[in-house]
Amino acid sequence: MESLTTSAKEPPTDDDEAITRSLAGDLDAYEVLVTRYSALAHRTAAMLGAADEAEDVVQEAFVKAYRHLVSFRRDAHFRPWLLRIVANETHNLTRSRGRRDRLAARLTETVPAQGEGPEEAAAAADQRARLLDAVRTLPERERETVVCRYFLQLSEAETAQVLDLPVGTVKSRTSRGLARLREEVARDLT
Amino acid sequence: MTSPDDLEVQLLALGRSLDVPSPPPADVARAVRTRLEPPLAPETPALETPAPATTPETPTPETTAPVPGTPASGTRVPEAPAVPGGPGALRRGWGALRAGGRARRRAAVAAVAILAALLLGATPAGRAAVAEILRFAGVEFRTGAPGPLPSGVPQPLPGERRVTLEQAREQVAFPISLPAALGDPTEVRVSDGGRVVSLFWPGLRLDEYDGSLHLVFRKELGPPWPQETGVGAATAQWIPVHHGLTYLPRSGGQAVIRPRPAGPTLIWQRERVGLRLEGVGELSRALEIARSVR
Repeated sequence: MESLTTSAKEPPTDDDEAITRSLAGDLDAYEVLVTRYSALAHRTAAMLGAADEAEDVVQEAFVKAYRHLVSFRRDAHFRPWLLRIVANETHNLTRSRGRRDRLAARLTETVPAQGEGPEEAAAAADQRARLLDAVRTLPERERETVVCRYFLQLSEAETAQVLDLPVGTVKSRTSRGLARLREEVARDLT
Repeated sequence: MTSPDDLEVQLLALGRSLDVPSPPPADVARAVRTRLEPPLAPETPALETPAPATTPETPTPETTAPVPGTPASGTRVPEAPAVPGGPGALRRGWGALRAGGRARRRAAVAAVAILAALLLGATPAGRAAVAEILRFAGVEFRTGAPGPLPSGVPQPLPGERRVTLEQAREQVAFPISLPAALGDPTEVRVSDGGRVVSLFWPGLRLDEYDGSLHLVFRKELGPPWPQETGVGAATAQWIPVHHGLTYLPRSGGQAVIRPRPAGPTLIWQRERVGLRLEGVGELSRALEIARSVR
């Protein structure tokens, strides 16, 4: 409650200031936070299984985050705290639908690396597609950690917070996931 | 080519090449803000019964462009009884189901959970699941096996208007209490013709209403059960978990407002005023705030 400080007038520059001002009811400041984390939140929701409902999940998550901002520990980082809410909302959605969550993302056309001929480029694209398929078929627990660590590029500690797991569990699930992917990729190549 | 490092590098590269379509961040920020801003006029409820007749005793604001099917025409279901939660309430549930097609896109997410909740409440099995009804300080607690938690954003109460504290004092018939522990509210709203005053602080909401005569809210609860505690000499009920909350309008037992999810809540009564404090996660803090009410 001590964070109920009065709001400043300049646009907030960092998360901390934006949060302080949001806590004081400054919606302009909160808009800055939403804008800053919107793309990452959508990516997280879609990749953890919200699929075409990622937009709804993300809006809901931002609304909840604002309403629960008082419970945010000020010495913590906003990003994993927010993404945990996104992950929870995504889980709620997939559970309520009784459907298996899916990894929703599509491969983009990538610019061929320098010196890479069309053939190599096609092979590389094919390899990426196969790797993505392999990630999609991972058991949910392993897939989630792999998605957080590599697709969202979160640290082990952030992944632990977002998925509400001990860091040790993140480590073991990630390495199990990687081992499984290695097997899958090797099998594809034979 | 699948050495450990290689695979991790490939995964990172794959991640970078994955595209997740998302709307422009500024649009998202605006949409979120719209939902957080106190509505001067109610937004369209997602699941609203069709509106053949208006309810005169519910002065619903029509100040800004009411969308078709808004509570501007607070719906009546003729057979709805005055007793909340009676069979009429169940039929109302079905009415809401039929009207679900008009739900806005955003509300579609909430719809399935709410449909499930309504279905549970509407079947004999669902009714049987209500193990106990407790009435306290203008709030009816239905304990049992509640359906899934309603999801979605809280709708405004009927006729909800943003006012100053002074205006609120003029518009409600009971003394408004203020918790000293929270300082001045960031926002004050009066609803349903002065029946409820709601004070807001970031993340917190304190509803005050005349709790001596009529039921004002209904809560659908499962375990853990409400915990009885006390604010000063007064009994209080603490609901530590998220639960479904329905507002029961003054006009009768029928709730045209769909259930909304509510956070942990402390309910107590000060003389004839019922108070419900929502959004504090810990009982000790909730009690601290409640005790500071003047």
